[in-house]
Amino acid sequence: MMRASLRSAATVAIATLVVGGVAAGVLPGYWIYLATAVLITAVNLLSIGIVEGRTGMISLCQLSFAGVGAWTVGYLNVAGAPGGLPLWILIGGLAAMPFGIAIGLPALRLRGINLAIVTLGFASAFDAILAANTFPGQTQFLQVPRPYGFDSDEGYFLFVLIVFVLIAAALELLAGARLGSSWLAIRHSERAAAAHGVGIPSAKLRAFAISAFIAGVAGGLLAGYLGTLVADNFTMFGSLSLFAVATMAGAQYAEGAIIGGALVTLFPELLRRLNLPQDLGNVLFAVGAVQALSTGETISESLRRVRGRLLRRRATETVVLNRADLPRRRDHGAAPALTVRDLSVCYGAVVALDDVDFDVPAGSVVGLIGPNGAGKSTLIDAVTGFLPSYEGSIELQGKALEGLLAHKRAQLGVRRTWQTNRIAPDLSVGAYLMLASGGLTTAQLRAALAWIGRLDPDQKVAKIDAATRRILDVAGVVAARPALALLDEPAAGQSYDEALRLAARIAEIPAVFGSAVLLVDHDMDLVRAACASVTVLDFGRVIASGPTAKVLELPAVKTAYLGVDETVAA
Amino acid sequence: MPGGQARPAISGLMMNLYLTAAVAGLAAGGAYALLGVCAVFTYRLVSVVNFVGAAIGAAGAFAFAMLVEQGLPIGVGALAGVIVGAAVGIGVGAIVTKWFAESPASTKAAVAVALLVGLAAIGLRITGGQHPHDFPELIRGSAFRLAGVEVTNASVATLALAVLFTLAANLFLDRSHTGLQLRALSERPVAAELIGIPVHVLSLWVWGVGGAATALALIIIAPQRAPNFLALSLLVVPALAAALIGFFRNFWVTLVGGVAMGMIEGLASVIPGLGEYRTALPFLVILAVLLWSQRGARWDDAR
Amino acid sequence: MSLKPTAVLLASGLAAATWSGAAFAAGPTCPDGSIKLGAISTITGPADFSEVPKAAKTMYDAVNRAGGVNGCKIDYEIADDKADPQVAAQAARDFIDNKKVVAMTGGASLLECAVNAPTYKRANVMSVHGLGVDPVCFNSPNIAPVNVGPYTLTTAMGLFATNKLKVKNLCAMFIIIGGTQEAYKAAIARWEQLTGQKAKLVDLTVPISGDYTPFVIKARDAGCDAVISNAIEPGVVAWVKTADAQKIGGINWLFLAPGYTVEVAKTLADSKQPIYAGTEWEPYTDRNSPANKDWIAAMNAGKRPLTAFSQGGYLSAEVMLDVIKSIDGPVTRDSINKALASMKPKSYPLAGSPYVFGTADRHAPMQSTKVVKLEKGAWTVETKDWLVVPAK
Repeated sequence: MMRASLRSAATVAIATLVVGGVAAGVLPGYWIYLATAVLITAVNLLSIGIVEGRTGMISLCQLSFAGVGAWTVGYLNVAGAPGGLPLWILIGGLAAMPFGIAIGLPALRLRGINLAIVTLGFASAFDAILAANTFPGQTQFLQVPRPYGFDSDEGYFLFVLIVFVLIAAALELLAGARLGSSWLAIRHSERAAAAHGVGIPSAKLRAFAISAFIAGVAGGLLAGYLGTLVADNFTMFGSLSLFAVATMAGAQYAEGAIIGGALVTLFPELLRRLNLPQDLGNVLFAVGAVQALSTGETISESLRRVRGRLLRRRATETVVLNRADLPRRRDHGAAPALTVRDLSVCYGAVVALDDVDFDVPAGSVVGLIGPNGAGKSTLIDAVTGFLPSYEGSIELQGKALEGLLAHKRAQLGVRRTWQTNRIAPDLSVGAYLMLASGGLTTAQLRAALAWIGRLDPDQKVAKIDAATRRILDVAGVVAARPALALLDEPAAGQSYDEALRLAARIAEIPAVFGSAVLLVDHDMDLVRAACASVTVLDFGRVIASGPTAKVLELPAVKTAYLGVDETVAA
Repeated sequence: MPGGQARPAISGLMMNLYLTAAVAGLAAGGAYALLGVCAVFTYRLVSVVNFVGAAIGAAGAFAFAMLVEQGLPIGVGALAGVIVGAAVGIGVGAIVTKWFAESPASTKAAVAVALLVGLAAIGLRITGGQHPHDFPELIRGSAFRLAGVEVTNASVATLALAVLFTLAANLFLDRSHTGLQLRALSERPVAAELIGIPVHVLSLWVWGVGGAATALALIIIAPQRAPNFLALSLLVVPALAAALIGFFRNFWVTLVGGVAMGMIEGLASVIPGLGEYRTALPFLVILAVLLWSQRGARWDDAR
Repeated sequence: MSLKPTAVLLASGLAAATWSGAAFAAGPTCPDGSIKLGAISTITGPADFSEVPKAAKTMYDAVNRAGGVNGCKIDYEIADDKADPQVAAQAARDFIDNKKVVAMTGGASLLECAVNAPTYKRANVMSVHGLGVDPVCFNSPNIAPVNVGPYTLTTAMGLFATNKLKVKNLCAMFIIIGGTQEAYKAAIARWEQLTGQKAKLVDLTVPISGDYTPFVIKARDAGCDAVISNAIEPGVVAWVKTADAQKIGGINWLFLAPGYTVEVAKTLADSKQPIYAGTEWEPYTDRNSPANKDWIAAMNAGKRPLTAFSQGGYLSAEVMLDVIKSIDGPVTRDSINKALASMKPKSYPLAGSPYVFGTADRHAPMQSTKVVKLEKGAWTVETKDWLVVPAK
């Protein structure tokens, strides 16, 4: 979906430049001055947008990062470093990055909430440090000079505008790339992201580093804007208030960042003109943020929704499956895809799996059935690396998986779908498939979507129903063409006809894509149609294993399964 | 006479210097511990990382100071302050319970941050002004002398209160019927409602009790802390750090963590050569403790 | 330097007359019908300094009611910066670009000087601050406050301790906010240079709000005889209460002007600690002082409270009115700047040093304080004469 993100990056760039250029020509000096502040705040808000809006983490120390950038610019100015403000700003951003990484490091392990507390602690400690350090050059009345040719208010406005456009456009491009999709996936479900082979730590760390960089740039821009700075520009409470604004406005989008910047800058202006106390601003931001959180929709998301309703969607083109376009089959050799020996899993006193042995041969579709609570999902969790511990051995193509983290296993070729919907709703269908498959051409993408069920790649996942999302989940896994695909109840919620169609697709996965499949489902018709052999679990033990038709006729299987079958298949 | 009548004879010894400094940090430590325990209490029962907790308590503490200024006796004022703390807590709880009962913990935390921004602005507006309020001492005098430091009754009271709250919270959660109900509630509010637990009312009780306890804690420590509303509200930073040390689960570890942080702060004030970076020391300690203690954790719950 | 105001006016009028070569002294005129002045002050947020510009406004209102300055009304506006640099910067630009003020006066903010000094310089606007707080207020060519300020006051309190209290071991424990570290270090260095002594202990890491026990203990164990602290009002109370709780004796506690309030005196009435504070102007609690007479009358007429803040606002307005009156012709930014640059030092009863703006790179005209001591719940004046910090 590179094309789409290029398009949206260009849209953002052109729209902002045109509006900004007109503004620079038309607005009186004072308003240009305010507009510059709007844009600088917007840059800062973009940095929060990456961490909060895109990756779903709470960072409460963005202004501290900005302070690092600003102070760096100040030192470079005093030292008379060559390059002028544009280069200094860049260096300021880079100087903020190590801080971002250092703070972000705990985020790899710490849960999201804990990160909020750590960042708050950092902001609080940084406050005192910055307060003690006079802005470089202030006592000598040395001002940070604006770039040559951009030193008037109008000029500096254009300079800031260019920086904002560059950053916003770069973020749009990033959003369309794999990293951007991984962030959204992490925000929605870390487990699902890991199951696609996304390294959660590195993706989070990159989000934090990029965010710190942008915040540092914003600090540098502020230094050029005001000439000299005070520690109060970067207080912890400022960071908190900015967080509220970002939450309210939806700072992951360029327009959200500008709306937020306008709120921060123009609200004091409005209050002053109305002769109202200045502290009303923070109360409003708090109310706005709580409101946005309770509706789950920020200002920019509301705008996008309204715009989406106004602009009639172009008619969805009928997608015809062209099998020649499907992603090329991958040959995974003849070694058994999965070998499980003596697998036991306990949750406290409860034994979920008890000495389970079983295999998925290469190029086969194996069914795994059993009543609720038999241990089917636990087995998938164990194979894919989502359990803290298990006993026994699990091998992928003869290679032991013990000790490997989930995303490493995914990268090695163990992929899964989920019973509960874990696809990030903010992604488009196409972007999701790109993330899951790890890269396809546009033709391959369209073909894969047509193969699974005529999905529109530009549609948002949020817009499609739960059953369709399950199919999309399957499409993502097979498009990655792993050695082993584990499908966890993909037919739940499908109509009878759809389920049969899906069964036919699953049956041809080994031939078309080269993956061996382990299918878990309650729907006996699906299992019969898709699987050559089947294994039955009951109370954590394997009670039967063999060719599908034969196993399903065994009395023990019937007893174990009867009743459950009736209720679920209904 | 320089230095007063009670200079310890061996103050030249570094060990003794550090011990003195650590004991001097005890007063702050007790406060952090108590606030931390309150944060754990709220988290375990309504699964909210309560960024706004100290601000709620600050509302109660300032109500106390302002009422006493109006001529109310100290005891009555303190009671009124605790009630105001409970009321503001219930107010915040009503917002969280009404709109965010089913939201993930990170959303609730974001709500709490936003509410902190708003509440601090309102609090500064009401309590600010040219002359900050005078906080009368609820508890006076000093209990005993340790390493050349007078340990005040107020510090002892904060510590005792923290221990008491820890004991009560543990007993309540593990032994009482309501406690068990509340634990069910924090895990699945809707499911709890289905089996007939009055979710809404119980949550509000938790917020009220948390608010009252925080208010009482701040009333006791405020006279020694040169308070303004924002500064009291931001006591939430060390409080949450203490709660983190206790994994937001264990009251006793939180208690110890809070006291330890106060003592580290005290120690930092005498370590030479740190300059303005002194304030960062507690933060670095927390970071180290966290990285070490959480080295096994990997997944956000249910994500 | 105790010329009567009329004499100064006469002198400057004469000077103007000689320069212009004209025999008439028409006084200030206002083509726009009014003279626009502005003040930026911290009103909401962590502090409220609004009493400074409000007192100034009272003065201008009184002048306007009496027909204005030579028929020109003073149009005086106050803007709040809520201690937010961005808001302060916006307010300054609004005053300069939109409202076209001719000068700033009566400002009192936690950070306005540091934020706006470059803007004032660029726009060539001068400010007679009512209460300078941050160090830039005393280090800018465009700003000359009418108060002594915490830095000069630090030196002054050090001199008081050394010369009057005969203290041997002086310690300094400061709260550092908003880049004040260098300024306080310089103030201590100035004291060391003037007295040839060294501070026993300098701690610049005291938290603005927090438990002071470790710091009080540290001062005791370092053997301090006197401690200078820049704690603000609730901090002063907390310091002394903590010292009392630690049963410390024998240390003189020296505070700066923010500690000098009636509320502090009342709250600490029971304390046995020796507590002193330096004042910005004539001690405002001394209602019988002749120096306070005009100020008290003006504030009572305008129904404004009698606080130290209102002294600052009053004094800045007096200075500004005198400067405007000295102008012959239209009152513009240029003519005000010229008048400020060429003004002769002028004494006012409220202050111990004469006020002057002039053309220096930095201005700190006020170099005198009176020290007050806390006794039985009230402040008494400890130094009858002004304590002046020598220039060298």
